[in-house]
Amino acid sequence: MTPERPTIKKLYALSNEGHKFAFSLPLKNVIRVNGRDYTVELCEDEKYGVHILWKNRRYPVEIVRTKQNRYEILFNDISHMFTVETPVSMQRKKVLRTGKGKSQALVVRAPMPGKIIDVLVREGTAVMKGEALVILEAMKMQNEIQSDVTGTVTRIGVKAGQNVMKDDILAEITVK
Amino acid sequence: MDINGKYFRSFIEREEALKKQYSAERIRKQHSKGKLTAHERIALLFDEGTFEEIDAYVTPSDQGVEFGKVELAFGDGVVTGHGKIDGRLVFAFAQDFTIMGGSLGIVHARKIAKVQEMALKMGAPFIGINDSGGARIQEGIASLNGYAVIFNNIIQSSGIIPQISVVMGPAAGGAVYAPALTDWVFMTSHTSYMFVTGPNVVREVLNEEVTSEDLGGAEVHARRSGVANMIYDDEENTIIAVRKFLSYLPSNNLENPPVADFTGDTPDFNPKLRDIVPDDPNKPYDVRDVITQIVDRNSFFETSELFAGNIITGFGRFEGRTIGVVANQPKVLAGVLDIDSSTKGARFIRFCDAFNIPILTLEDVPGFLPGKDQEHSGIIRHGAKLLFAYAEATVPRITVILRKAYGGAYIVMNSKGMGGDFNFAWPSAEIAVMGPDGAVAILYRRELTEAKDPAALKKELVKKYREKVANPFIADEKGYIDEVIDPAQTRAKLLSAFSALGNKSVKVPSRKHGNMPL
Amino acid sequence: MTKITRILIANRGEIAVRIMRTAHSMGIECVAVRTHVEPDAMYLSFADIIHEEEDEMAEIPVFLDVEKLISIALKTKCDALHPGYGFLAENAYFAEKCRDNGIIFIGPSPDAIYKMGNKPVARQIALRHKIPMAMGTHGSVANEDEAIHQAARIGYPVIIKAASGGGGRGMRIVRLESEMEKMFILASREAEKAFNDPSVFIEKYIENPKHIEFQILGDIHGNIIHLGERECSIQRKHQKLLEEAPSPALDEELRARMGETAVRIARAVGYYSAGTVEFLLDSDRNFYFMEMNTRIQVEHPVTEMITGIDLIEQQILIASGGKLTIRQEDVRLKGWAIECRINAEDVQAGFAPAPGRIERISFPDEPAVRVDTGVRAGSSIVASYDSMIAKLIVTGKDRHDAIIKTKLALDKVWIKGTKTTLPFFRMLMRNPLFQAGTFTTAFIEKDLEKFHTNSEYEETIAAWLATKLFVEENLSERKTGISFDQGRELTPWLLRKRLTQF
Repeated sequence: MTPERPTIKKLYALSNEGHKFAFSLPLKNVIRVNGRDYTVELCEDEKYGVHILWKNRRYPVEIVRTKQNRYEILFNDISHMFTVETPVSMQRKKVLRTGKGKSQALVVRAPMPGKIIDVLVREGTAVMKGEALVILEAMKMQNEIQSDVTGTVTRIGVKAGQNVMKDDILAEITVK
Repeated sequence: MDINGKYFRSFIEREEALKKQYSAERIRKQHSKGKLTAHERIALLFDEGTFEEIDAYVTPSDQGVEFGKVELAFGDGVVTGHGKIDGRLVFAFAQDFTIMGGSLGIVHARKIAKVQEMALKMGAPFIGINDSGGARIQEGIASLNGYAVIFNNIIQSSGIIPQISVVMGPAAGGAVYAPALTDWVFMTSHTSYMFVTGPNVVREVLNEEVTSEDLGGAEVHARRSGVANMIYDDEENTIIAVRKFLSYLPSNNLENPPVADFTGDTPDFNPKLRDIVPDDPNKPYDVRDVITQIVDRNSFFETSELFAGNIITGFGRFEGRTIGVVANQPKVLAGVLDIDSSTKGARFIRFCDAFNIPILTLEDVPGFLPGKDQEHSGIIRHGAKLLFAYAEATVPRITVILRKAYGGAYIVMNSKGMGGDFNFAWPSAEIAVMGPDGAVAILYRRELTEAKDPAALKKELVKKYREKVANPFIADEKGYIDEVIDPAQTRAKLLSAFSALGNKSVKVPSRKHGNMPL
Repeated sequence: MTKITRILIANRGEIAVRIMRTAHSMGIECVAVRTHVEPDAMYLSFADIIHEEEDEMAEIPVFLDVEKLISIALKTKCDALHPGYGFLAENAYFAEKCRDNGIIFIGPSPDAIYKMGNKPVARQIALRHKIPMAMGTHGSVANEDEAIHQAARIGYPVIIKAASGGGGRGMRIVRLESEMEKMFILASREAEKAFNDPSVFIEKYIENPKHIEFQILGDIHGNIIHLGERECSIQRKHQKLLEEAPSPALDEELRARMGETAVRIARAVGYYSAGTVEFLLDSDRNFYFMEMNTRIQVEHPVTEMITGIDLIEQQILIASGGKLTIRQEDVRLKGWAIECRINAEDVQAGFAPAPGRIERISFPDEPAVRVDTGVRAGSSIVASYDSMIAKLIVTGKDRHDAIIKTKLALDKVWIKGTKTTLPFFRMLMRNPLFQAGTFTTAFIEKDLEKFHTNSEYEETIAAWLATKLFVEENLSERKTGISFDQGRELTPWLLRKRLTQF
C-alpha cells in the first residue's frame, strides 16, 4: 500500500495571548480587516532592509526566531509570538486539552550553588517561557534562571543577596 | 493477463480486504488520542508517492501462540518498506497501534529485521517509528527473541548507516532499548512514553505514585535523562524535523554528507560577531548567537537542546557542507563542563566521526564543575569520555577559543595537543592554567597576607596576570594557537580551514576497538 | 573675558556631538577621547583632535577618571573642559582639579556643586532661604532609632534618600512604622554601594506629584535668570522617558512664583552656568524644592526649542567670563516642545536594556523635528554605557499640535537592529490621560496596563508573516536542494582511506 499525503487547506496562527488567525492555502498576500481586503507584502531593499509594505506604508519587521512551528516576529518594534498549526495539529491540541485543564505548579530550583544577584519578577508577575526570573551568580558568572513555562509566578523563594544551595526553590510558577 | 480472470480477481479482492482492514473506525480511534496512524506517518515522512510497502499481507501464525488469541490481521501491526526522502533511499518501519496495540510478535519482528538487514546491505539510512504496547504476551519467548534480533541488527549497523528512532506512542520494558541503541531519538510531547518499568510496577514495588508522563514522557527524556534528543509538540512537526535532520547526514559511513545548495546570503566578513562576547568575563551571552552568525544562514539544527544546556551541539552548514558544532554555552551554568555535558558532547562527537562530519568547537569554558555531587557521581570517568571522543575522531577538527579556556577544560575542548587541526582564538580569549583570581591567590599567597592593602595588591597582580599570561597572544607566539583572528573574519577563516582539511586522512592503528571509559 | 579656543569633551554619545556642534559654530576646536569600548563611535568624527585612550585594562572608564582627564586636557592643550551630563559632571573635586590646573570647567563653581550635591546641606540652605520644602530631617539620620523618631515627627508616608544620591538610587518609600527599620538599613546599604556614602535623610513623601523643573542660567557677575519649566512626570523608576516644555500644569502666575523661587535657590549658592532646579508639584498646586542639578540636562533641548536660546553656547560664554545678555523679561516661551528618549530597551520586557548593533537608522527630516543622536548605522549600543539611541524633539504651536506632530514623526523613525522604546511613545501619544496633561509621576506604574499598544492589524500582519514562513519552510516544494551525489564523490586519497579503514 502506498499511503497518500493529505493536502492542507488551512493554517492557523495562534498567538501566545490566545488569539487565533486563520489563513487558507495557497496563502495569498491579502489580509482582511473589517471586511475589506488589503494587500500586504514582505520586501527587502538596501535602504530599509527587510520590511512589510501595508497600505502604502513601510513597517520594519524582523524574524527574530523560528523554531519548529514557533515564530517570534518583531513588527514595528513589538514582538509577537505565534505557533502555526495545521488542521491536524489543531485537532490534536483539542484532544489533548480535554482531560487536563487543571492548573499545574512548576517549581524552579537553583541549578547550582551560588548567590542571588537580582530577583526580576514579583509574585503575581505573568512570565513567558524563556523569561528570566532571577540572576544567580555562580562560577563567577551571572546566570539568568529562566522560566520553562508560560504562567504566573505564585511564589518567590529567594531574595537578592541570598546564598542558595543546589536545588533550593527559587520560584514557583503556575501554568493555567 | 485477463483482468477479469480468476487470478486477477483474487488479487483485487485481497487489495480490498487490506483497505477494509484499515477502516475508518481504527483511524478514528487513533486520532482520538491525538495520534496519527502508521500509514499517515509514513506518508508524511517520505516524498509523495515514493513509499513501497513490503510484507503488507503477512499474518501472524498460530504457531507461536501459547496463551490467549492473536488477531489475524494483515501486516501484523507494523508497516515496513522503503521510499525516498529528499530523493534519497531510506528504509523504515512504523508500528501500528490500532492492531493489537502494535505489540511485537514473531512475524512483526521478522518484518522489522528484514528491512533492517536490507538497509544495511544498501547502505541506506534507517528510521523506526515506535508506537507499541511491547512484547506480545500471547507469543511468549518467540516475541522476546524477536526483540533480541532487532537489537542485534541495530548494533551491527551502528556506525555504518545512520539509524533514527521516532517514538510516537508507548515504548515500555525491553522495547525501550530499540530506540536507545539507535543514533538519534525523536519524541512527540504528551503522546509518547519510554520507561523500563511502568507506573504500575513503580506503584507496586516502591509505593510511589507517578504518571506515565512524569515517569518517561518526552519532556523528561529531553531534559533530565537525555534519552530523547529532539522533542516536538505534535507529530507533523516531529516528522518534518526528521526529514530536515536527515538532510545533514550521509547514507553510510563511506560517503561524505550531502551538500545543500548555498545561496551565498551569508556574509564571510561579519562585524556583528565583534559585539556578542561581552568584555566582562563574568557576563554571560548566548553562544548560539555566535553559531548562527558563522554557519550558513538558517542552517543550524540544534541537537539535544534541552539536555545539559551548558554545552550546545548541533549540525550546521558551511557553503552547503555539513559540520558538527560543539560549543560551551556561557548562558547556562557559565558553560561549565559537568557529567551530563561531557557525555552529551562525547556522543555527538562520536556520531560525527563515524559519519565523516567535520567538527567545529567553540570554546568558552571556565572549567569543570566542582563539588561533591559531581566528584562522587564520577565526573572523572565521564569527563574522560569527552577527551576520548575528541582524540579518537579522525574527521577535520577546528577550535575557536572565544573567551575562557582554563585548565583541564582547555585540554578537553579539542586543544592543539589533543589533535586539533586548526586552533584559532579571538582577541578576547583568556588561555591559562586557571583564572586570574585563583592563580594570584596561589602564587602570591604569602605576599597577599603580608601586604598592607591586600585588595590593591591583588588587583595589581590580576592585571599583570592578564597581561602576561591569560591572553591569546602568548599562546599564539608559542604555537599552541595557530592564529588570533578578528571575530568578524571567523567565517572566512573557517571556510578556508575546512576546505583545506577536506582531504584529511589519518592512519588509525589497527585494533579491534579502543577502550573508552564507559 | 578669557577666550576659549579648545575644549576637551569629557563625555561621549549624543551630548558629545551636541557640545561639539555649538563649539564649532563658535569657532572653538574640540578634543574627543576614543575608548576601546566604542572605537568607531559617531562623536569621534566631529572632533578636531582625537585622543587615543590606550589603557584597555583600566579599572574605571576614562570618563570617570579625574587624573587621566586632566592630563589629557593638559597634553592636548585644551583651555577648557565640558563634562556633559553623567560621569563627572557633578563632581566638585573634578571641577576643582580643573581650576587648579588652569583649565576652565564649563559648569558651576566647585562650591556650588558641592553644596547642591550634598542633599542635607542643600536642604539646610533652602531652609535658611525659606524655600518651600517637604518636611524632613535637618541632616543625615544616624541610625534606625532616630529614623523611626524622625518619621513619626514628619508623619508617614516618608521617603528615605541617599545624602549623596540622585537618579532614584537608594530611595525607599516607607508607609508603616513597622517597616522603617528594615527599609532604613536597606536604603543605607544601597547608598553605600552606589555612592560610597551610607548617609541618608528622611523627607515627607508627596503622593502622586508632578515633576517640574526650572532651567536656570547665571553668570559670574551675579546675574541669574530662569528659562521656564520642563514637565518631566513621565518617568519610570525615576528614569525620565519623555519631557516637554512648558508644562500643562502651570499658568503664568505659578510659573512666575516657581521661577522666582528657583532663581532664589541658585542665588543662595552663588550659582553660575546652566543648572536645573527640580520641584514636586502636588495636586493642590503646592510646590516643594527637591534638588538642584548642577549640569546640563539630557532634556535641555525642549527649553532651547521654546526659548530659542542655545544653552551650550550660554554655558561656554559664561565660562569664559561673559555677562548674561538675556534679561528675565526677554525670555519668551513660544510654542510647545516634546522630547522622546528613544532608548535601546525592550518595552515588552519592562524596559530591560536591549544592547545591540544599529543596522539601519533614519529620522524624519522636517523643520518641526530635531534629532540629537550619537549613533548611526553600524554603531553599537554597548552594555557599559546608557542605552540611549536618540532624542526626538518635536515642536508645535501648542501642546495639541506638538502631540500630533510627534505622533507623525514617530511613525517616520526607522531603526533596525535592536528593540527600542518607540512603541511606548506611539502608545503614549494616543493615551487620553497624556493628551489631557493631568498625569503624575505615578502615571507609568499606576495608570498604564501595558507599555505599548497592540493594534489588531499589526498582530494580523505578524500572524500572516509567521504563516508565510511556515509555508515556505515546510509546505512549499522548492526547498534548498540537497545533493547526495556530491557527498558520494570522493578523491582517490580519501577513497583509499575509507576502503582500507574497515
